[in-house]
Amino acid sequence: MKTYHLSAWEQEDYVLNQGTEQQSPQVLRHLAECAGCRSAVARLEHGVDVFRSAAVEWSSECLATRPQQHLSVSMRRLPAVAMRWAIAAIIPLVLLVLAFLPFHLTSPRVAHPALQPSDDALLEEVDEQVSEAVPSSMESLTYLVSTQSSAGSAAAAPGSKHIVQTN
Amino acid sequence: MEALEPLIYAGELSPGRDRMIAELEDINTLCATYRPRIYRYALLSLRDPDLAESVTQDCFLKAYRARDEFRGDCSLATWLTRIATNLIRDTTRSRRFQFWKMASTTAVEAGTVADRLRAPGLSPETALVVREELVKIWDSVATLPGKQRSVFLLRFVDEMELTEIATAMGLHVGTVKSHLHRALAAVRKAMEKTR
Repeated sequence: MKTYHLSAWEQEDYVLNQGTEQQSPQVLRHLAECAGCRSAVARLEHGVDVFRSAAVEWSSECLATRPQQHLSVSMRRLPAVAMRWAIAAIIPLVLLVLAFLPFHLTSPRVAHPALQPSDDALLEEVDEQVSEAVPSSMESLTYLVSTQSSAGSAAAAPGSKHIVQTN
Repeated sequence: MEALEPLIYAGELSPGRDRMIAELEDINTLCATYRPRIYRYALLSLRDPDLAESVTQDCFLKAYRARDEFRGDCSLATWLTRIATNLIRDTTRSRRFQFWKMASTTAVEAGTVADRLRAPGLSPETALVVREELVKIWDSVATLPGKQRSVFLLRFVDEMELTEIATAMGLHVGTVKSHLHRALAAVRKAMEKTR
């Protein structure tokens, strides 16, 4: 048993270990016998209790004036959720565009409606030229061939066109 | 069943983790259960109701987002307190907080809190003494260094065990006790001034 008073450290140790099983038996015995130390410890405990009461009271009052937190949490979660949905929506679009972009670049261009009449005229001209059996520039040659082979081909009509056989 | 237990602990996952994870999934219930405690801790640490609200919301958001990382090796309250402690530390380090702390008038705040103190059964003289004592303690706690103040609040307001405080603060139990001794010594010194 201690024959002297508890030190400040021992008193504080007693207060901070309140409610635990870590109290020193010697300190407990001394407090049971020493009114002075008991009073000092009680005063420290009282100060802590007063602080706790005021703190809890103030906190409860402040909390009572605050809106429900689950609403605020929902609000603050919204940007993150919205961002995820936006990304989820954009990714398929981007993939779709990337998938069709090469096809779009290599595909033949559709003729512009304003250019169609001139194109048609050009095509008709080409068709006329192709439909001629002998081009106009080679027409004189066909007469030459006809006179040379008139003996072999007397049945040939004078205006008919023949192609020269070289071999 | 006997063979399962070592496997569970080999992965350092608590058997009660699934139950606590399920509790974390329901964020509204989680807030309803732990909000008063976390808000009180933040409010007393920061002494600013708006900042305390912000920290409290951030705490639950962080906990919800990191719920898969919760190992279940401590209680949910301790885990939330740890997150709150980190957020409070970050807030107090910010320049904005430093500025407003310099501009604030703690004396008025302490008086306001002391006015709300209920002292039933006390004579007016005794109530006045208690009020003065509270103002001194309130101010002395406000001037404690960050870790000392946090440890003091967790022990004497939230009444957490020393081991829980050590887990929440990421400190050894011995260090927690050391902080508590210093904080109590400051409180005792403040109380002696009212004599």
